[in-house]
Amino acid sequence: MDSVTYHFQDLDTLIEQVHSLFDTWEGDSDLLDIFSLSTLYQVKIATHEWLANLVQHANFEQDTTDVSLLVKPVDDRIFCVIEDNSDGFVLDEHLEIEPEYLDSLPERGMGLLILKICTEDLLYHGGEMQAINRLEFYVSADQDQWPNTPF
Amino acid sequence: MSFVFEATNDPDSVIVRIGKALDFRNAAEFKTVCQEKVRGGARNFVLDFSETGILDSTGLGSIFSLYRQVSPLNGQVVFASVSRPVQVVVQLTRTYKVFRQFPSVEAAQEALS
Repeated sequence: MDSVTYHFQDLDTLIEQVHSLFDTWEGDSDLLDIFSLSTLYQVKIATHEWLANLVQHANFEQDTTDVSLLVKPVDDRIFCVIEDNSDGFVLDEHLEIEPEYLDSLPERGMGLLILKICTEDLLYHGGEMQAINRLEFYVSADQDQWPNTPF
Repeated sequence: MSFVFEATNDPDSVIVRIGKALDFRNAAEFKTVCQEKVRGGARNFVLDFSETGILDSTGLGSIFSLYRQVSPLNGQVVFASVSRPVQVVVQLTRTYKVFRQFPSVEAAQEALS
């Protein structure tokens, strides 16, 4: 896995294109010498949940939609940055959702919780008229998600 | 990206070959077809995840919806041939507490018979 930033301009094909990237990385023996497939799949689901959020809910008013993805190994973690030029979100409230506010077996609202559970150092800078919104997080190869799992 | 529903010898049971993905792009369709199957008398659903590269929160929510429909009717929703990407989500959300998992569709069918 090289440290490269990928740019996407088409929301209709964004998810498929990113999945193809992960398919490629699944076959990267050098990467799998460092990280397990489970770790890579955690990165994949975290990335997917955020991109799904953008596709479904973000307001892209500019003529050119631009979503960028950076995924790179950093020591024993994988670092991800997703930037976009939508209007952004006010996320604090959503990221503070406590498990007791969710019904058991919730049909909605799990996406950001899943994103929180499988990542570390999750940060979002966006909305409030910023030109570029940025979500960044780490996925640790040794992360034990059990204590964080609210379900 | 589409899933395939298969009838079985047991009229109460359905196998669903989930395919490549069950996520926000096709979860509504999955939910609709499942509702039709339940209305048609299906009670037990075996979800085959052998080819599945992504199960996201929306897809999982549609499975929960199915579970809520069939449980009061003494039906079951079980997972079969769970791929590694799906297993990661199952572990993260602890859905293994609700849905039994089987190594194959055949094993699942035998357990439900």
